[in-house]
Amino acid sequence: MSTAISRTKNRTESRTMKPTPGGRRSARPDRAAWTFLLPFVALFLFTFVLPLGYAVYQSMLKPVRSGALGLGPATVGFAGLDNYSLALQQSAFLESFARVLLFGVVQIPVMLMLATALALALDTLSHRWAGILRAAYFLPYGVPGVIASILWGFLYVPGVSPVVDLLGRVGLAPDFLGYDSVLWSIANIVIWEFAGYNMLVIVAQLKAIPQELYEAARIDGAGAWQTAIRIKLPLARPALVLTGVFSIIGTLQLFAEPLVIKPLTSTVTSSYTPNLSAYNEAFANNNIYLAAAESVILALVASVLSFGFLSLVNRGKGRDAR
Amino acid sequence: MNSSPPSRRTVLRWGAGATGALAALPALTACGQTVGAARTTRQAATRPGQKVNLVFWTWVPMQKTVDLWNRTHPDIHVEMQTIPQNVQGGYQKMHASLTAGNPPDLAQVEYHELPGFMLVNGLTDLSAYGADELRDSYVPWQWNQGVFDGRVRTIPQASGPMGLFYRKDLFEKWGIEAPATWAEFEQAARVVKARGGGARLCTFAPNQPSWFAAMCWQRGARWIRTEGDDWIVDMNSDLSREVADFWERMVRDDLVFVGPDMSSAWFRQVQTGQISAWVGPQWGDAMLRSNAPGTKGKWRVAPLPQWTRGDNASANWGGSSTAILQGTRHPREALRFAHWVNTDPEAVDLNISVGYGWPAATGVFRGSALDKPDPFFGGQRYNDVFTASDRAIDTSWKWSPTTDADFAQFGDAFGAAIAGGGSLAATLAGAQKNTVDNLLAKGLKARSA
Repeated sequence: MSTAISRTKNRTESRTMKPTPGGRRSARPDRAAWTFLLPFVALFLFTFVLPLGYAVYQSMLKPVRSGALGLGPATVGFAGLDNYSLALQQSAFLESFARVLLFGVVQIPVMLMLATALALALDTLSHRWAGILRAAYFLPYGVPGVIASILWGFLYVPGVSPVVDLLGRVGLAPDFLGYDSVLWSIANIVIWEFAGYNMLVIVAQLKAIPQELYEAARIDGAGAWQTAIRIKLPLARPALVLTGVFSIIGTLQLFAEPLVIKPLTSTVTSSYTPNLSAYNEAFANNNIYLAAAESVILALVASVLSFGFLSLVNRGKGRDAR
Repeated sequence: MNSSPPSRRTVLRWGAGATGALAALPALTACGQTVGAARTTRQAATRPGQKVNLVFWTWVPMQKTVDLWNRTHPDIHVEMQTIPQNVQGGYQKMHASLTAGNPPDLAQVEYHELPGFMLVNGLTDLSAYGADELRDSYVPWQWNQGVFDGRVRTIPQASGPMGLFYRKDLFEKWGIEAPATWAEFEQAARVVKARGGGARLCTFAPNQPSWFAAMCWQRGARWIRTEGDDWIVDMNSDLSREVADFWERMVRDDLVFVGPDMSSAWFRQVQTGQISAWVGPQWGDAMLRSNAPGTKGKWRVAPLPQWTRGDNASANWGGSSTAILQGTRHPREALRFAHWVNTDPEAVDLNISVGYGWPAATGVFRGSALDKPDPFFGGQRYNDVFTASDRAIDTSWKWSPTTDADFAQFGDAFGAAIAGGGSLAATLAGAQKNTVDNLLAKGLKARSA
């Protein structure tokens, strides 16, 4: 037993020691690393772990009423998982998840394909036009989501919108805010906002590809199209995975766009997305305990989906490598 | 009377100890704190000659009134801050400020929200500061909207007796009279559809449950009542269903537009005469005046159509109070301002000009800006209609402490029913169940009628 342990210990030691050239490492490398990490760790604790912990705590509380009609002083009691079961029994809350999932399944691929196509085109295009176009495509990201939604909202409302007006004159009567179409009108806003941003991430990745690869491909007789499909796309994969994860999380957190569109149409409900539902519980219904439970459920679903997506694409990568 | 801050502070201490999220769990064994406002009202001592500053949140542009107060009351300075209208962010802001312990001294709160604020102990007990002596200055039913358990909790501001706004010029063109009954109303809608060239009589707004509540209120329904300590919800009565069926027929037969009212699209329809009538409240005059100035002189006001000819039933839509939120340090000064702003004739006149509603104070209507022939309504003394409407309101109507949530779900269900071809009346049963659930989720005792 003990020999086995010491042997493994030796082996790990020798392995970790090997890459350090020059033999002796600095006296306390850990301390320096921790010092640099400290600001991050502190921020992470205070802005992520702590609020999350507080939300979990709140989600397990409930008010206990007293007095005539329950309007007397109330105290806070332990609710266990009551809030969670209550949240999961609300059909409107469950429907909101189904809605954002449907939204994501359609909107994310469309947006990422658009972003990739733009990135590939810009990467092939050289000179100053590439720079100007890149900035132009990125510009919508600089417009805050709320402003973008107000802007698009006016283009959707009949009687006010020039778009609806023009389409009406040629015999089309689009109902952008209708029961079946409003979700895709929101998707349009999100694509407008984020396609340019995602494009920029992909362009950065493409810029990092060594020029030698392109030269080799050219010597082998590959054209621009083949280079794009066979070399650029596979090598842009990390950027696509990254933008994919961002988009999944962003979709589940859909909030500002439906909130701004809501007053324009009765087809956007008060629990249209999970975030909107939690917001209404917390601030309209003033039930922060139930809102906390809904938020924790949302966080769980978001992490399951994004980690699931990551493990899915990483498994694929392992197979490719073999 | 220790309030809730300990909990938050304790949790923060655990965080500082960096023991992580799960450290918060032991706290569950020790939850003895109270729910709601983080700070309770206590009168701060003031030195003679000291100027008191008050913060007042409202969505009605009452700056001129506040300026008048500041000119005439040098010892108390009021700072008015404009907040988003009601559920569009205003109440969210108030509840957050109460929970955080930094509320404004005064805020505009609608009558139907008051029970909800009571649930979080958000309103100062004004009886402790002598508010009971002010009672005689106000319309009794509006005063009683703010009395809970015999204690005065708010100062009434204004209400919204309902009437029918209509375009006299268009009605004459189409040969219709102002409808006196709902049957005539439906008939008028059919005429407008036939002769109006794409126009409709009015809009049915699924996003406006408080308007629909007023319709049921007029019909004689009572959505909530109390028995002992129980809240009894009765939204699915025959009377409410009758109202729902009426509007459903109007929607199905394409006699009305369907969409949000008081929205940009709606105002556009009002401006262009696509909409020629609005079953609306007294404060609707300011809405029309400021958003459709081009239609000046063409509007008139008629009494609310009746279910039975010759009846005189009315209802109320909206209505606000000037609440003194829990946690203020100057309740006496705030109460002085709240009473002045709602009863001083000059103040009320200024308030009325910016659409504050039908004054809750008695005896201020006669001789006020409201009591004049109005050019926007073609010289009609249109407020005579609302004076009569105000007297005809059945004042036994009560509100649930979960009105915001109930209305949000109700509006959603209405929208879905209309889009999906479902029945409006059928959503009432669901609304009733949701309301009971909302009350139970708040730890109250509730059941269906």
